[in-house]
Amino acid sequence: MRVVIETQAQPKSAGRRPTQNSWERFELLYRSSRDDIFAYVTTLLNDRAAAEDITALAFERAYRRRKTFDRRRGEERAWLFGIARNAALDELRRRKRVASLTVDPEDVSEPADDAGPEVALRRTAVRAALTELPARDREVIALKFHAGLRNTELAKVLGVSETAAGTLLYRAMEKLRKACDART
Amino acid sequence: MRGPDSDPQGQDTAGALMAVDATLAGDPVDPQYAELAELALILREERPRTSDAFTARLDAQVQRRFARPAPAVRGTGLRRWLGGSLAGLAAAAAGVAVVLVLAGGHGGGSSSSSSAAEGTVVSSASASAAPSAGAAAGKPLLSITPAIREAKRPTGAAAATATSSSSSAAASAPGSVIPSPVIPGTRQVVQSAQLVLGVAPKRIDDVSQQVFNVVGQEKGYVNSSNVTSGGGDGGASFQLSVPSANLAATLTSLSQLRGAHVMSRSDNTNDITGQVGGAGQKLAEARALRRSLLKQLADATTTEQVDSIQARLHDANASIASDLSTLRGLQRQVAYSTINVRIQSAAAPLPVSQHHSSGFTIGTAAHDAGRVLVVVAGVALIVLAAMVPVALVGALLAWVIFAVRRRRRDQALDLV
Repeated sequence: MRVVIETQAQPKSAGRRPTQNSWERFELLYRSSRDDIFAYVTTLLNDRAAAEDITALAFERAYRRRKTFDRRRGEERAWLFGIARNAALDELRRRKRVASLTVDPEDVSEPADDAGPEVALRRTAVRAALTELPARDREVIALKFHAGLRNTELAKVLGVSETAAGTLLYRAMEKLRKACDART
Repeated sequence: MRGPDSDPQGQDTAGALMAVDATLAGDPVDPQYAELAELALILREERPRTSDAFTARLDAQVQRRFARPAPAVRGTGLRRWLGGSLAGLAAAAAGVAVVLVLAGGHGGGSSSSSSAAEGTVVSSASASAAPSAGAAAGKPLLSITPAIREAKRPTGAAAATATSSSSSAAASAPGSVIPSPVIPGTRQVVQSAQLVLGVAPKRIDDVSQQVFNVVGQEKGYVNSSNVTSGGGDGGASFQLSVPSANLAATLTSLSQLRGAHVMSRSDNTNDITGQVGGAGQKLAEARALRRSLLKQLADATTTEQVDSIQARLHDANASIASDLSTLRGLQRQVAYSTINVRIQSAAAPLPVSQHHSSGFTIGTAAHDAGRVLVVVAGVALIVLAAMVPVALVGALLAWVIFAVRRRRRDQALDLV
């Protein structure tokens, strides 16, 4: 999501220093992607504590490898999500177990649900259905709605074409919608 | 896998995706996608949020630039092992290459020319009286014993005969150098040297002419010579005689001939003091006998006595002539040293020998630099040749590891 980087971070330094060093670029990337990475990893792992560790590990790896980043192979944000995805998949493989959480742990920063009981019920159903989705579908939804990736970036992270990424996203939403309907 | 690439995106899918994007962008969507839009909004609202504690902790880590070592992850050990192994193989290959190059440099080509080009000077002193050899080298080498001195004052027919025979022997030597005065008590040492020079085939004639010039300058003469030029295996050989006093200077000049380099050299000395003394003693006895016979001849009264004494006198004169000839031969060996020079076709000497013979010049430096570059290029080529299969195996191994890891990561999603 280059737009995000440019619209949020670029104005701060564009007028002062046209060329940024690797640390400044990494810091901008961190500021713009920290919450998105965490949200994506949390949804994928269904484990907030592990997600925090993996998020930190992903940024540390990105920092170590920041000089090897090749812009011709994609945007920095997609590159960062690729690192986070590999770290999360390694964590899944290491644990050798299926994520057992069926509901999202309580989020202290979650906003109060003051839109009414129907909306609250609907949100609860979506939350529960999401945790029961297969990991592949949950990952696509997490990348799209929790990390805020565009379809092109999503395709890059998953290693598929943009059309295929759109198809995967559509199918995942259909599964989620049916799961929600079944719950309500 | 579901094979999304093989499933073309239909109109419904494209419309739904556009509706989702429009919803996320805050734009209105078609009512048929209202349920999808609501789901998209809920999903966005349900996004997990970071806690303040985690945010602060991660911010601090980033500000520290992850100063603490990275947590151990699977695969790091394997990667480190692979890296160490490849580095070790590279170092081993480089070492083997250096050894091969060095071994090839010494063992390849013509070993004789390379060893000879180092200018090895072999000195073999065969003198029986070593203590006197060094002293004899720097002093007049010829001495004449009292007996010889007596022989140089011939009287009568015998003396005339002896002088005639010796002069005929000396006539073979151009210049007929008169031996230096004899210094009683000094050692009589015969010196000789062998010199092998390497020259380019096309310069054999030139170098041979330089040999003649050197011999002339040092007041020596050429006993024999044989020069064969033309073709790839020409050569020349000389037997030179030079005054012993000029031996060292002659050898130095011959060693520095233009276009030639010394392949080998040997010096020999032989003490003949005993032989000279013996010959002198024999000559003195013969002369004493002749003097006695001359007195007897003067006192003879009968024809028989005169005939008998004359016959014995004739034998005594012959003995004196022979002894004198022997003595002069030894005298000439001491006065003149023999140098055997052999010139043979050979490659140019290595720079090392040039340094010893002609010192450090721009030309030798450039030659050395070129040689170093050639050796470096050879080492690099061998290292490259050794590294190519190693690199191919490493690349294949890395590709396999990458593919396996990717497959396992992909399978990890199916475990959840």
